[in-house]
Amino acid sequence: MSTRFYPRYHLGNPQLRVFLPNFVMKLIKPPHPQPPNVATFIVSTQMTKFDIQNYLEKIYKVPVASIKTHIHMGEIKRSKVGGYLIKDDDYKIAYITMPKTETFEFPDLYPTEKEEAMEKEMNQIKLLQKDWSKKIQQHKHRPGMPSWFGA
Amino acid sequence: MSVLRQTRALFSTLATTLSRLHVSHTSVVTTVPAISVFHPLRVGKYTAGIHTSTNLRNLSEFFDDKKNWGEQEVKVGRSWKKDELRIKSNDDLHKLWFVLLKERNMLLTMEHDAKQEYRLFPNPERIDKVEDSMKNLEDVVVERNRAYWMLETGETGERPAGVITDDLGIRRRRQFCQHFIPSWMHHRKKETIHRGAAVCKFQRLMREKNFVTKRRYYRRVRGHVYMLWRRFPNMNVEALQQQYPEVDVRLLRKHKKARGHHLQNEA
Repeated sequence: MSTRFYPRYHLGNPQLRVFLPNFVMKLIKPPHPQPPNVATFIVSTQMTKFDIQNYLEKIYKVPVASIKTHIHMGEIKRSKVGGYLIKDDDYKIAYITMPKTETFEFPDLYPTEKEEAMEKEMNQIKLLQKDWSKKIQQHKHRPGMPSWFGA
Repeated sequence: MSVLRQTRALFSTLATTLSRLHVSHTSVVTTVPAISVFHPLRVGKYTAGIHTSTNLRNLSEFFDDKKNWGEQEVKVGRSWKKDELRIKSNDDLHKLWFVLLKERNMLLTMEHDAKQEYRLFPNPERIDKVEDSMKNLEDVVVERNRAYWMLETGETGERPAGVITDDLGIRRRRQFCQHFIPSWMHHRKKETIHRGAAVCKFQRLMREKNFVTKRRYYRRVRGHVYMLWRRFPNMNVEALQQQYPEVDVRLLRKHKKARGHHLQNEA
């Protein structure tokens, strides 16, 4: 349950117990549409299906019916500058099927209300900037003139 | 069982448990019963306060607090320091580890989604803070474990390591592996150790390279000491020797390179 060194196992050895699991799991939006009771994760490439099941059931208390994993090879591309090869990291993607009673839909993490509020603020700032530049124009050809005087 | 029936069943169990709670107005309630939040009269059937599929709440731990979604800045505290972790008990550290792990998962999930959506991920240093805290926690646990093992057994329980000379003759620090058979059964015969002409040549050149770097270093130190003697002929010799222990400072003082244009040197 960790990326650390595992000692060798011989028949009759005690069960290895890891108290500080090192693995990290990212919940992602599936690249292809999935049924409602399927959640998609990117997990450490060293994780097995048993590891994933224990992790979710014990740490997050998520019931797991079945797991399908595969290691996705990172893209190999050429650099635009220099023409050398670049490879993205490999990652393991896991499709966790939960019991049919459970459903999960990846939420939209960027609510439109906040975005609209931000845009409004930016527009107001732009208007203020315009007004200010216009105001400065009044005394462009009179350096040192106090702004108390009007146009 | 349909969602509606499940909700009704849940409420019925809550109602019965509440009726069993005998809390009189005169008695002092020392513990707040957790069920009081979900009083059936206050909570409707279809509010978001209760989920019949408990899964939703558990997977929502992979996401940040809802009020932080779409924010430009999220304020957080600093990472845990080692001294702060050393005063905690093992149980506390164990619990803290999982808290940090879940937080790390949550932050990485949010970062990944931000990258996919080409959006700003606020305060990415949060991930570094969590990772620092986890590293410090692990270091503290390793300290305690090592101390315990040394007291009980006289050796650390960690993977043994040592300095070995590899096939190219370079001394490296290597962590040892476990084998099914003892070393005298698998130890390589001298004939199979690769020591051909190429390796000999490599070792010769490597030794030369190391010697050259060492020579350059000593020359640099000597040159610096000469310069110091030239500029400051009345230095404290013991202090200078302490600063440059690799060279004999007294010997260098007598060299012509250490002679400066001073009154005592004029004819």
